[in-house]
Amino acid sequence: MPIKLQSILGLSFLLIGGCSQLHHVHIGNIDQSQGKLTPFTVEVNELGFDAAKTAEIGAEVAKSASTSDDLEFIALILAVSNFGPKTGNPVYNDAYAEKMVYEVIKSCPSKKITGLTSVREATSVGPISGEVVRINGYCIN
Amino acid sequence: MLKNAILLSLFALSLSGCVGLNTVSMTQVPAERDNQITTSSSSWNFIGINFSNAFVDEAIDKLKSQCPAGKIEGVYTKHQTTGYLLVFKREVIVSAYCNEAL
Repeated sequence: MPIKLQSILGLSFLLIGGCSQLHHVHIGNIDQSQGKLTPFTVEVNELGFDAAKTAEIGAEVAKSASTSDDLEFIALILAVSNFGPKTGNPVYNDAYAEKMVYEVIKSCPSKKITGLTSVREATSVGPISGEVVRINGYCIN
Repeated sequence: MLKNAILLSLFALSLSGCVGLNTVSMTQVPAERDNQITTSSSSWNFIGINFSNAFVDEAIDKLKSQCPAGKIEGVYTKHQTTGYLLVFKREVIVSAYCNEAL
């Protein structure tokens, strides 16, 4: 297959592959007995990057066979070094979800919170992803 | 030979599990457990390509509508994925107890 066509096909798959993944969902108790509920959403989004996948894509579109082999080897090293249990792509900040607690408290001036739903999801396009933590809840007015 | 291969593939398919349990969670269970409510919502996709996780919010709305003026407690949430040969069903199944205010 000509390299140009291969690259176009690869890029198309990359764009089609832009998708949403749901990792975890937790629904909490909902109290609708104390008054009207006002919904709120708090969300943090951190850049995730899959270096091994990037090297794999590089190997696919490389023009020379030796470059392709080198990139495949790099992809293997990266994949092995990041082997193990994980949720989504790795990120560069291990504290990005810590501010959620304060954001949830700030979103509810009445201080009465109910129906907290925690969602861990990701939106990915090829090797890049948005690693999202989302909290939906209700303020009791 | 081809017949054997097809039969072997069908046998292997029948042995393979098709449901993946993603997450399970539960909240405090109330003492009053007379009125149980359940709901579920799902989203289908082809080879795992999804563009939205809005089906989760749908489950919450359905749950709220079953207990409009009460407390929804003891919420058991199960998130699972079922594979049907290249097509997948993502599902959130929720059960809880509704305690209406007296």
